[in-house]
Amino acid sequence: MATVDITSEVIGTVWKIEKAEGAPVEDGELIMILESMKMEIPVEASAAGTLAKLEVAEGDSVEEDQVLARIET
Amino acid sequence: MSGDGERAAQLEELRRRRGFALEMGGEASVARQHAAGRLTVRERIGRLCDAGSFREIGTLAGTGEYGEDLELRRVTPATYVAGTARIDGRPVAVGGEDFTVRGGTSFGAQRRKGGQGGYIEDLAHHYRIPLVNLVDGAGGTVTSARRRGYVVFPGVDGFERSVELLGEVPVVSAVLGTAAGGPAGRAILSHYSVMVEGSSQIFAAGPPVVKRSLGQTIDKEALGGAKVAVDRAGSIHDAVSSEDEAFAQIRRFLSFMPANVWELPPVLPPDDPVDRCEPGLLDIVPEARTRPYDMRALVGMVVDRHSLFEIRPRFGRALVTALARLGGRPVGIVANDPKIYGGAMDADAARKQIHFMELCDTFHIPIVFFVDVPGFMVGLKAEMQGTLREGMRAVYTAGQLSVPTLTLVIRKCYGMAGMATCNKRDIDLKLAWPTGEWGSLPVEGGVAAAYRREIEAADDPRAREAELEAELRAYASPFRAAEALAVEEIIDPRETRPLLCEYLALAEGRLRTTLGRRARAGVAP
Repeated sequence: MATVDITSEVIGTVWKIEKAEGAPVEDGELIMILESMKMEIPVEASAAGTLAKLEVAEGDSVEEDQVLARIET
Repeated sequence: MSGDGERAAQLEELRRRRGFALEMGGEASVARQHAAGRLTVRERIGRLCDAGSFREIGTLAGTGEYGEDLELRRVTPATYVAGTARIDGRPVAVGGEDFTVRGGTSFGAQRRKGGQGGYIEDLAHHYRIPLVNLVDGAGGTVTSARRRGYVVFPGVDGFERSVELLGEVPVVSAVLGTAAGGPAGRAILSHYSVMVEGSSQIFAAGPPVVKRSLGQTIDKEALGGAKVAVDRAGSIHDAVSSEDEAFAQIRRFLSFMPANVWELPPVLPPDDPVDRCEPGLLDIVPEARTRPYDMRALVGMVVDRHSLFEIRPRFGRALVTALARLGGRPVGIVANDPKIYGGAMDADAARKQIHFMELCDTFHIPIVFFVDVPGFMVGLKAEMQGTLREGMRAVYTAGQLSVPTLTLVIRKCYGMAGMATCNKRDIDLKLAWPTGEWGSLPVEGGVAAAYRREIEAADDPRAREAELEAELRAYASPFRAAEALAVEEIIDPRETRPLLCEYLALAEGRLRTTLGRRARAGVAP
């Protein structure tokens, strides 16, 4: 079992969280949507497993490379 | 009879001396190179070029050791292997440091073989053929001063030829080991460069110098591996996972390039119908303006199948730069990626666009801009990175292009970043999809600034702002702009490929009239 960190590629805010902690996720599945430069930026799982931890909440500001969620594979 | 004996001895000496060259740094040294997961320079040339096409120059150059009887004991070959060869049947000059001989450090002789001002550069210049540098060396060494009795002045070894070549023939560098100093600089003085992830590093100076100068302890991969040199610094254009992949990238890059600036880029018989109308283009752009889409997939549907060759995919990612073919003709693609900051141009994206436009302009490759740019990137970080200045350099460079360009507006084209996708010196033909929208700045945000007092005074400020936005958005219709010929044509997205192929075919006649070196004038901002 390994932990995969999902990081933000952009500076922005968390608009919508689509998956709850503990939920199973497929590789490429949508976890949350960020808003940056007036665009909706989808954040997808980079591995299949369980969404072990959400590190942000809706409305939070995020920085580039910030960890948004952790997946246990 | 004695004449025959002498001739046989001469041939024997030639055979023996060639043997020393092929031995390179010796068995142990070659084994060390292989153990490090690297090929020798001779293996590299063999794998990069067409089989049997390498014609070496300076095979016998090296340091001879003679006995007291003046008889040759052995020759330590020069630290650089060079010559001409063919890639896909087309001639190139190719050379590289031999790391197995003194770590590929500079070889001082009557005449240098490689590196800056080396014979290899003269070959490329004289025959007007592309130059491929296989970089694997650390450049100068202080030990050479001991041998010479003095230190050389920087650049005395013909740095001007390295610069001149960039306006004459395609120059490609593969960084295949640890490159510092001169070879590192030489790798940058190229049109396209590639390194191997994990086994190659590049920096101005390596860990020992960093330790001595700054007290900083850092290993060579952390200092100059692909994660720094490609992803962050953009010093090298691409990283691949093996030397063979690096050679494949070089062959691919050269397949789009003319041999020199006095020729047109090579046109291939099209293997994809030029009149192919792609239905997938109709709904690739989401109706919601806030949703990104896959720009690479979009471009891939338009250009000749399998022809897309992306350059610098890991740097300045708000922008995609790629070489491709349309109807068999090479074309440069500059496309904004709405997935990264909505396609907004930041300093890195601007640098990437500038280099790519200059590349295309130099080698007479027409450019098609696939535009979806909301403007320059905003925010403190973007300002500190110099987005405004780098962005305006992109506008300046676009304004100096002499190669034909086409502007295809997919969605947004706003502000000064939008200006960098047009070419006012050219016919400035702008085609727009019906999803196109443009202006000085997007309505959102613009309304809040321009109507601040009116909005603040309203009973329901948010409702008033929304009302104003709706009203102004009606004016932003691309069809109203087409009425005024502010955009030359609005097209059905499915017609994109046939139209681009047709305009590119037309551009060929024009390109023939502007061959040769590009004049550069003025001071870039």
